[in-house]
Amino acid sequence: MESQTGETLGALTAGPETFEARMEARLEAAVSLFERTLALLEERQSAVAGEVQKIVAAVENNQASARENELERKLEAAEQRIAELQAQRESEAKPARRTVPATTAQFLAKQGLSTLDSVEAGALDAALTGLSLEQRIAVKAQLLRAGVLG
Amino acid sequence: MKVHGLSEERSALRSVQAMAVQLPEVAGHPNRTPFSGVLTLVDQPSTKPPSGARGHRVILTRAAAVAALPSLLGMAVDYAPAWDGHDARRKCGIITHADVEGPRLHVAGYLYARDFPEVERQMRQCTPGAMGMSWELADAHVEDMRAEIWKLTRATFTGAAILLRDKAAYRDTRFELGAPARREIAACRTFTARAHRTFRGGTTLRRTETRKEETWKARQAKLWGR
Repeated sequence: MESQTGETLGALTAGPETFEARMEARLEAAVSLFERTLALLEERQSAVAGEVQKIVAAVENNQASARENELERKLEAAEQRIAELQAQRESEAKPARRTVPATTAQFLAKQGLSTLDSVEAGALDAALTGLSLEQRIAVKAQLLRAGVLG
Repeated sequence: MKVHGLSEERSALRSVQAMAVQLPEVAGHPNRTPFSGVLTLVDQPSTKPPSGARGHRVILTRAAAVAALPSLLGMAVDYAPAWDGHDARRKCGIITHADVEGPRLHVAGYLYARDFPEVERQMRQCTPGAMGMSWELADAHVEDMRAEIWKLTRATFTGAAILLRDKAAYRDTRFELGAPARREIAACRTFTARAHRTFRGGTTLRRTETRKEETWKARQAKLWGR
């Protein structure tokens, strides 16, 4: 659990593109795993019963093309699902309201960071140079929780 | 519409099992073109693995084919534009007659020639004997799924297709326009007469029934001979 949280935090701090890429890869892997499992289960079940739902006395290349069509349809469905998840994540990643503790906001304002809509990493590091390591981590954590840092 | 029953005739030469759906006769029907063909072979392995058989060749047993004959009657024949497979949404005809004679499962029926002129055109343009047939089975039971050649011991016919013979899993199928050959009709007629007797409980036919049967035979011969 901790490692997963750490991974997620690491991915968040690494940037949204990396996180999306990882999510895409994991979703694709999950989809292919589900498909393989389903095919295996169907095969086992029919093998036990000796039942075949449909047989067509046409040559195998038709079967290959039908299989390809089926896989294409599944791929399209998976891509659509990934796009939906991405869109959902993007909408979730932009909180409607960003709340930063007043002390932190005041401190950052003193350092010249009056607007918190988009904080650049370089400007933030420059603003936090006067603080100790623990304080810098605390401020960054607060900004991260508030969604100011991507 | 009359349905003549299924029976089994073991003559000295060969055994014949047949069924037919008799449609009302309409002289010069513009949308009915009779066809005949060999749908498949029974008790013989397919030339190539059929689609859905996971790479196995199959044997449709005679018993399974005969038991499934009733399911074949009234089923549609379809075609794919490239004549290389099935397209269940292009139903261009109907099967009204089926019989197993020796190793061959013969079928006959009507094409909707006016609705599907391309089928008739293809039949006229292709080289003789180039077209074959293919069945579509549902709920097939395989005796041993691990066998190299699957033996189908039970199945239901859900349709058939007209396609190029080299695209069919059974190479020795065929499809032709026109009524079936007289020999094939005779076999079915003989069966039908026998089936009639079976329905009568095996009792000897009375003279009036014999006359009826002969009238029916003459009408059928005239119908198929056209």
